[in-house]
Amino acid sequence: MIRDNIARTVVVLLVAVLAYGWFGRPPVSWTFGLVVLVGCLGAFLTDARYAARRLAAVIPILVLVSFIVFALMNSLPGDPAINILGPSATPDAVAQVRAELGLDEPFFARYGGWLGDAVVGDLGTSVQRREAIAVGMSKAMTPTLQLAFYSFVLALVLALPLGVLSAYRQGRMADRVSNYTMLGFLAAPNFVLAVVLVLFFSVGGISVFGFDVGWKILPAARYVPLGDDWFLHFKHMLLPAIALAMPQAAVFMRLLRSDMILTLRLPFIDLARSKGVATSRILWRHALRPSSFTLLTVVGLTLGALLGGTLIIEAIFTLPGVGNYIFQGVGQRDYIAVQGGVLVISALFITLLTMSDFLYLALDPRLRSERD
Amino acid sequence: MADTTHTTDTAPDTDRPGEESIGVRARKPLGPVFWAAVTFLSLLLFAAVFADLLPLKDPSQSFRGMSKNGPSLSHWFGNDNNGRDIFSRVIYGAQVSLLISAVGTTLALTLGGLIGLASGYFRGKVDQYVTSFLNATLVIPGLILFIALILFLDPSVRYRIPVLIFSFVLLSIAPISRVVRAATLTWAERDFVLAARTMGARSGRIMFREVLPNVAPSLISYSLIVMAQLIVVEGAVAFLGLSVPPPTPTWGDMINKGRNSLEVAAHISLMPALMMFLTVLSLNFIGDKLQERFDTRESVL
Repeated sequence: MIRDNIARTVVVLLVAVLAYGWFGRPPVSWTFGLVVLVGCLGAFLTDARYAARRLAAVIPILVLVSFIVFALMNSLPGDPAINILGPSATPDAVAQVRAELGLDEPFFARYGGWLGDAVVGDLGTSVQRREAIAVGMSKAMTPTLQLAFYSFVLALVLALPLGVLSAYRQGRMADRVSNYTMLGFLAAPNFVLAVVLVLFFSVGGISVFGFDVGWKILPAARYVPLGDDWFLHFKHMLLPAIALAMPQAAVFMRLLRSDMILTLRLPFIDLARSKGVATSRILWRHALRPSSFTLLTVVGLTLGALLGGTLIIEAIFTLPGVGNYIFQGVGQRDYIAVQGGVLVISALFITLLTMSDFLYLALDPRLRSERD
Repeated sequence: MADTTHTTDTAPDTDRPGEESIGVRARKPLGPVFWAAVTFLSLLLFAAVFADLLPLKDPSQSFRGMSKNGPSLSHWFGNDNNGRDIFSRVIYGAQVSLLISAVGTTLALTLGGLIGLASGYFRGKVDQYVTSFLNATLVIPGLILFIALILFLDPSVRYRIPVLIFSFVLLSIAPISRVVRAATLTWAERDFVLAARTMGARSGRIMFREVLPNVAPSLISYSLIVMAQLIVVEGAVAFLGLSVPPPTPTWGDMINKGRNSLEVAAHISLMPALMMFLTVLSLNFIGDKLQERFDTRESVL
């Protein structure tokens, strides 16, 4: 009982933190930090053993990822000092910049230094951008997290009713139509979908036998911050969010459908039906919860697909997010920025994944260790 | 052993209740859409393999004055920004996509399959270490690591195809071996495996002659889905300009280049996009149908 109350409190606190992040507009990194803090606190209070085990598993992964990123970026050919100074630099100047960047120290010393700085939020300074990478990244995180969040919500909002409907009407017309449509969206990579959406909703479409099919109603590029104009913000975010959401919605919907079909065959559904419970109530109140466990476990993992997808979608819709930050870094051979960007987005994903695990702990009592 | 419980465990979501035991169910026909998908893929494969022998136009030849022309009788899919024939570029682009995805899938399935088979069969300590390592690698966002790998391994764009294949194999070993391990677990405890063991068969023989044939059917359908995923990944990488460099046509690159003239000549992007969509759709559809046919639980990706 106590643990249930804690779980509820944690959920309420999380909502409060998100609301604060939404309305109070602190830097995104603050909101994110608060979410992590509340999540860890809640998990430890609910089930300290599980939380400790989960955290103990996460930290080596984070270290491993940081090491891979650092090793990759440091074994790239080309001298960073020459990249900064240009090919006509004198050897003296190169030596001086190398010393400033600490490039002459041994590999592990450099890695340790970099990791130590990264832990306290110092990812170095990008010479090309003349800006601390942590500052640039926290600016870039806003559009990325917004886009991932919107498309996640959109995918769920589409998938839940469709999955329930198509499980209930299994084998009928509605089921077949929605199933085949979703199979189609599953086969449409998000960047292809993005191009098609831009074609039909923002550049006016194509003409088929003299008829123009398509509109010019939605913008295809540019980012408007939420704080400037919320209507314009959503107008600009709609196409990218749809492009990212549809393939996810297809995955969610198909999972929910196949689990729900199994649930609907269980005796308790027959009982509810024979008691005369309304169909919609059976579907939404009785059957949905026990059918959604596979969906819930997959939802956490799809966050990775969403964050990976945002990179490409940002590039298409020119949103100034983490993806664009990384790609610009690649283009300008600004490897310190790339290194920081990749580290931040990996850490972001791993943290979100852990947080979603903690959230299941709050939602699903069966996951907690046997001890009460 | 309680074989009946096993059967209900592994029985997939049988769409009809009361027919849950394996093998009793009458086979459903595969349907016209399935055969349409097979035909499409075979045609595409044939065209890609024999592209040099077919009467196709040179994919890098610019036809003068035909820039951005729509589809016509001489150029079925129209011409691109530089007046090149899109139809033949799409076929040559299929070469890259199909080569990378077929080789990548084969290698990834072999390696991931071996790891999954071994860790599912032997269990114990090895299994524990392997699974926890695999779970750890699953956590790293794929596309980002993929791009980082490509940039790191092949900065001078000289060995793009092998590097793409290598990076893909490296990243897909974890999910594949998880699937194979799960499938192996359901078969490794069966009575016939026990029988083979009592007759003195060695582990290797049991794994490859007893377990593998049972796991293989679901692996075949899974491999089609893996292949579809790889086509998408290659497309995404090409779209970002990181796949095989320009003179060679790739679908992703064609879609990207066509975006500039979407307003005046949408077909430049749409044709390769349509091809990629149809290929992935066909692969997914065939994989789905075969999975239904082979009676295995839908793999959760």
